[in-house]
Amino acid sequence: MSRVASDTVGNGALVPFSEDTKDSLAVYPLHHGLAPPISRIAISWARGNSLRVSLFATPSSEPSRTPQDQSGGKVLEVKLGVGDPEISDSRWRQIAYGSVAPFALLQSRRSALSEMIKSSSPYQMDWWENVLEYSKDITSLLSGPKLPPGPIIEERTDIVKKREEPTCLKAAWELLEIFYADKQSQAWLPEKLVDWLADYDSLFSSTHETVYGKLARFQKELVDIQVLEDDPRYWEVMSSALSVGWLDIVVKMLRLHGSYQLDQLSNRELENGLVEAVAVLISKMPRLCHESTNGKLGELFKSKPDFIKAWEKWRSQITKLDCSPFWIQCGNHHTREGLRNLLQIMLGNTESLCMATCYWIELYISHFLYIRPFTTGIESMYNLAQKCIQLKPPSSNHKLTGLIVGILEENTEVVLAESSREFGPWMVAHAIELLTAGSEQAEIVLHDERYNLGGISMIELHRLVYAQVLSSHALTWQIAPIYLTSCMKQGMGLLENLLYRQSIQHNDLLLKNIEICRLYELDHISSDIMKVAGVYHWKHGHKGAGVYWLQQSKDTSRLNRIAQQLFDSVGKSISDESFKQWEGLIELLGSESKPAGGLEFLHKYRDFKRSLQQVYGGKATDAARQAVGSLILLMKNPSTPQRFWLPLLYDSLKLFNWHECPLLNVSETNLLLNKLQELSWARLHPHFSEPNLPAEALSSIRLALATNLGRAILDE
Amino acid sequence: MAATAMLESERPVIHRLPQHKYIDAVRWLPPLSTFDRFAVLAAFDTDSGSSSIEIHSLNPNPLSLQPHSSFSSSSRVSSLRASQFLQKTVVAASTAAGSLHILFSDPADATFESEVSMPEEEGLHSVPGSCVDLMDGGVECVTVGEDGRVNLVSIGNSNLSRDRLFDSGGLVSYTAAKWASPMEFATGGYGFSLQWWDKRKPGGPVSQFKANWDQKFTAGIVHSIDIHPSRKHTCLAGGSLGTVFAWDLRWQQQPIILSGAEVQSISESEVWEVQYDRCIKSSATSTRILPAMICSEDGILAVIEQGEEPIELLAEPCAINGFDIDRHNPSDVICSLEWEAVAILTRR
Repeated sequence: MSRVASDTVGNGALVPFSEDTKDSLAVYPLHHGLAPPISRIAISWARGNSLRVSLFATPSSEPSRTPQDQSGGKVLEVKLGVGDPEISDSRWRQIAYGSVAPFALLQSRRSALSEMIKSSSPYQMDWWENVLEYSKDITSLLSGPKLPPGPIIEERTDIVKKREEPTCLKAAWELLEIFYADKQSQAWLPEKLVDWLADYDSLFSSTHETVYGKLARFQKELVDIQVLEDDPRYWEVMSSALSVGWLDIVVKMLRLHGSYQLDQLSNRELENGLVEAVAVLISKMPRLCHESTNGKLGELFKSKPDFIKAWEKWRSQITKLDCSPFWIQCGNHHTREGLRNLLQIMLGNTESLCMATCYWIELYISHFLYIRPFTTGIESMYNLAQKCIQLKPPSSNHKLTGLIVGILEENTEVVLAESSREFGPWMVAHAIELLTAGSEQAEIVLHDERYNLGGISMIELHRLVYAQVLSSHALTWQIAPIYLTSCMKQGMGLLENLLYRQSIQHNDLLLKNIEICRLYELDHISSDIMKVAGVYHWKHGHKGAGVYWLQQSKDTSRLNRIAQQLFDSVGKSISDESFKQWEGLIELLGSESKPAGGLEFLHKYRDFKRSLQQVYGGKATDAARQAVGSLILLMKNPSTPQRFWLPLLYDSLKLFNWHECPLLNVSETNLLLNKLQELSWARLHPHFSEPNLPAEALSSIRLALATNLGRAILDE
Repeated sequence: MAATAMLESERPVIHRLPQHKYIDAVRWLPPLSTFDRFAVLAAFDTDSGSSSIEIHSLNPNPLSLQPHSSFSSSSRVSSLRASQFLQKTVVAASTAAGSLHILFSDPADATFESEVSMPEEEGLHSVPGSCVDLMDGGVECVTVGEDGRVNLVSIGNSNLSRDRLFDSGGLVSYTAAKWASPMEFATGGYGFSLQWWDKRKPGGPVSQFKANWDQKFTAGIVHSIDIHPSRKHTCLAGGSLGTVFAWDLRWQQQPIILSGAEVQSISESEVWEVQYDRCIKSSATSTRILPAMICSEDGILAVIEQGEEPIELLAEPCAINGFDIDRHNPSDVICSLEWEAVAILTRR
């Protein structure tokens, strides 16, 4: 409900009416530019997320002639919602375009696979490999533009680097890929999560304090700090970075330690030795990894037994260093405590880890790194997550945390709901492919046809919702059919709706629409659309275009009907110059094999007019004979409308009175006389319309024909 | 029919450049100097609902388009042409609302410096859709429309003057136009019809193309025409159903079909643009039609030649709505892609 608050609240602003909602009340001024008062407002939905507001001005009593006043109202489109701050509308469209090809490829592979299963072919590729390829395609699509490369000579103090601007959408997608699509990574899940957090920790800075945030802040202040190792933040930031496994950053920061400076090396030899020992230990940390990622510190192991062996050796080295007597000899208090704290982190001291990390996901990751490096199986992962949430209860929820919990809980419905709520229909429609690859249980949940959804499955529901979003935008509606046709139950019906709804005014759009019909073999729809286009063009005076589209749709009955209308204007121009305009249209009608309905007559009529014009131009008897031939053909043809008979005969008077010889033979003359007779019977019919000819036309034709008959009889 | 396979080393280098706007039309600008290259884009921004004609400069390494100068148009651009006249670059654009904009750009820095328009109120064309072609040398335009009007617009420095050559009153609609000489031009329309006009003979077309498109061949709409300066008697046309044909004014009855129906068909959908390909040195004798480039609704950019297998240059998942071959650098082609992007191809 709304009302127009005329003078009190701005100039004709639109205000929600209800008094109870005062707290949530928001006033948005509409700049419509109409002079008040406004008499009426109509609001309806426009395309997509916008409202169409029609404002009608009160008609002023004095007639004013200024152009501004002539408009009696205005129609405005008001966009609702602020959209996604992270991803702009045009970026969303780019993602929508880019995901078409991977989605279509996956669907075609699925149907090929089900064919193979039917024919029980011995060769069966693992389905998840297809899904993983699909997921990789989508990931590369979600990658933002690469950030410009930094200076070639690296600053000594550059510790955090970004390769591209991370987005929550890509983070969420990669998370789903790790857990559902990438079956090979199941054994490396914790290690994959460590990498994932390294890429996306900065995203959580919007709602939490993060290790990334701490590092970025410290980096800014770094240049102003005189004695680095005396600053407690230096050690704090390093312990944080180490706790989430950013080994290269920690090693780089350790090497900034004052004891490395040449002038100090001699008198801080022992201190420097300890720093270096820790740095070496950090860079030697064993890590489980299936592919050698370049530039990653730590010793990489591909097989689990090797990894376990190396891990235990490494741990014993740390313990040995921790118990070393050198610590007592180290004079610098900050260095001693800082380094020992780093060792505690590597030894998996729960308290140190809890201190070093900022929120539960970081703590969770640090557990994988230093406390339970051999974790496998998602069940124990979930229990650990719960423990971490208890240790560091989240103060506010980030859009990714709900998804993470849902995944760890193994609750498909929660994962879907979170994806939908936080990332919208695109995400759900595409991520569902990953979920079904994940487990049989998920597949059953998603493929099950549900009574409360009107007999469709969750998969279909979410595809339909996404297709609906695509359909509501002028630039994306054309990709909606790809998603609709993958929906077994409701897809085709909605596709038909979509195609019928498109505007037929512009040829480009109309032809694109017809092309989609052709691709999906929807001949009946394209035929209907062409009919609508034909009638539209006809009504708007583009007669040629109208006839063309009606011919394309083979709509003989409408062609017949418009033929009657056309004849009215043909009849008027029967003897004037404007007939030249008609020639193009007659060309368009093409050969006789095409359906032209009553318009077929025009063809012969054109031939007749041409030869008649030559006769009037003073050409010889041959032209006259040709004209007579055309005339007889026209009069014999049943498609020639009766109302044209008299004008045709009247135009041919000169032929009947041809002075050299009679041009019509006896039977031809009789045919014309019979037609004349028929015509006089027809005149008695109440609906007969008299052609616009001189009063003596009929009698002069009769006379001419009679004379011709006499001469013809004599000739024969 | 499959296109000829290309060796990897022969494949063109392709750059796809997202524009975040729908690209209605695209043209190369005649070069102003040997170093700078510019293209003119007609863009439609759906978020703001605004249309613009923009000059972009082409930066090498990495190849990108940089907005350089822009003119905002009242309505979406339906066709766009660029030419050079007295050291000035002239851009002509017809719009969906029936107006015509002529933009002059500064020769020194390729920015729009002045503009003359014929607003829609002047009734150049009634909606919908019109098409413009700018005469080489840029002093005169021909505009044709679905309303059946054929106008000649002569370009002055500060004004445009219109001369209506013909008005079919909607009985015939025109969808394409192309100058053949300073006196003659060709138009195309529904039913694969082509007309030949002479400025000196108003009152109707001088010649009409009336092929007998018999049962096995369905007629469609002509979307684009090209005429080669060295062969003015041949009119090349592209249109519906992947059809590309040539009309030789000296043998009027029969079209020479280059693509479509059962002949060398590389596409089955709308051919949106045709241009003679000046890059390929044809082995053909003078009786054959010169090689031509086409783009289509089903995302194909290809070179076709009479009696040869078509060569596919680009196959996109979306429509290619238009392209332009750089006249001075014929190995370079710029295309407008349906998915709000521009593609630039460099042939080797």
